[in-house]
Amino acid sequence: MASIARQSSFLRQTCLSAFRSPLATRNGAGVSQVVAFHASAKKQILPPLPQTIQGTMNDAAPIPTPHPSEGSYHWTFERAISVGLVPLTIAPFAAGSLNPVMDAVLCSFIVLHSHIGFQAAIIDYFPSRRVPKTATFCSWLLRAFTLTTAVGLYEFETNDVGVTEAFKRVWKA
Amino acid sequence: MARLSGLQREVLSLYRKCLREIRKKPLETRSNFKTYTRTEFQKYISINKKDFNAIEYLLRKGYRQLEMYSSPGIRNVR
Amino acid sequence: MAALRSTSRLVASSKPLFRPAVFARSYATVEAAAQDPNPSEAPRTKTFHVYRWNPDQPTEKPKMQSYSLDLNKTGPMMLDALIRIKNEMDPTLTFRRSCREGICGSCAMNIDGVNTLACLCRIPTDTAKESRIYPLPHTYVVKDLVPDLTQFYKQYKSIKPYLQRDTKTEDGLEFRQSPEDRKKLDGLYECILCACCSTSCPSYWWNSEEYLGPAILLQSYRWLADSRDEKTAERKHALDNSMSVYRCHTILNCSRTCPKGLNPARAIAEIKKLMASH
Repeated sequence: MASIARQSSFLRQTCLSAFRSPLATRNGAGVSQVVAFHASAKKQILPPLPQTIQGTMNDAAPIPTPHPSEGSYHWTFERAISVGLVPLTIAPFAAGSLNPVMDAVLCSFIVLHSHIGFQAAIIDYFPSRRVPKTATFCSWLLRAFTLTTAVGLYEFETNDVGVTEAFKRVWKA
Repeated sequence: MARLSGLQREVLSLYRKCLREIRKKPLETRSNFKTYTRTEFQKYISINKKDFNAIEYLLRKGYRQLEMYSSPGIRNVR
Repeated sequence: MAALRSTSRLVASSKPLFRPAVFARSYATVEAAAQDPNPSEAPRTKTFHVYRWNPDQPTEKPKMQSYSLDLNKTGPMMLDALIRIKNEMDPTLTFRRSCREGICGSCAMNIDGVNTLACLCRIPTDTAKESRIYPLPHTYVVKDLVPDLTQFYKQYKSIKPYLQRDTKTEDGLEFRQSPEDRKKLDGLYECILCACCSTSCPSYWWNSEEYLGPAILLQSYRWLADSRDEKTAERKHALDNSMSVYRCHTILNCSRTCPKGLNPARAIAEIKKLMASH
């Protein structure tokens, strides 16, 4: 079969060239040049793993165990915080009054918001199935950082002027 | 024997899986399956062990073939 | 089959057929004298760089191969150019194609940096620019321009893409739908699963094993939005984890690249809204 196909394609080429101008035939011969392929760096940071297929070709991909607190609740919480941050950042400056409770809420929202953001980045780029140790390390590092930030902000609020007042001073300075 | 790399262990595991599948085939054709498996692996024995892309591709192809040949409808191979 | 070929040939050229039907796989090739409005026109030669990799020589690295075609003698679409290259220059070039009119989704590939269907992508007439054709990004390549979509189809299977319901209608006839309910499926049912959107999504690049990707989520929403489906709660429950849906960070590459002009990002947003309202 293969030999027949090849022959016919050969015949077709000769057939075609009979009806073409010599110029076109030269073009049609297609001088093709081959270039080495450089799309990716020699040393990749996280090279793709060999393909893993669970089950046979016709099985459905496994469904992860449902976990609403990491799924829909997490998403709702995240959006609520992001939306809540908008009035919280504007309010103290618009109202002109400095309320320590508002300041505390703003600080905790900022800490949570950045924690969730960095957590998403870690899940994206260091998937635990791919680099389990790095993933655990990163999430613990993130927790440590979040805690440090929270403690620092608490100290700043109680022993110093507080976030909004500091911003106000920097703005005017 | 030197410690094997992850990829080398993958290849060996594929080979073992092939041998296990052969045991499910009818007794009289098992030797055919065995020679077939051996020739398929022998074909690429000269590949450099650092040529990860090629080996990964061949592993994918191997699993594909294993899945196909392990269907109970296939009783003999030549 | 022969009839189909001859009609497509009639479209391509009004000239009587010189070649016997055996050599008729030629709708990509427009014969010069027949199609060229002014034959004295200079040939518009355009270079195509095509990704090549042959699985029979697995130790050889992938490479780019260049082909020059005269656009005056080629059909208007990228697929025409590819078919012409395969027919006349290099029969070893491999790519998937079937319907040549954007309904089968076979010829999805990365053309000049954009995931699209070769049959819906016009060849840019600027001959000074060279076109580059790659397989879909971040896929395991089977050969040349053919990607391995096994995982994609397995994920499609995992969302149970069929009508699920336990009850029957009162009259025992088909499940009917109001025009408004039917309207909810517009912009969803047209998806042909070409995988252009999924393979353009960075989130899917990093986590294709667990994240479902825009195409599958669009299909998932198609069944969540269907008024006849009764397993909406189960479907939602199956998606309720950190990986399946919530790896979408609204990058919107999917809506941008969709060759059918659909909006997978909107469907994902609707899923997120549905999931939030229990």
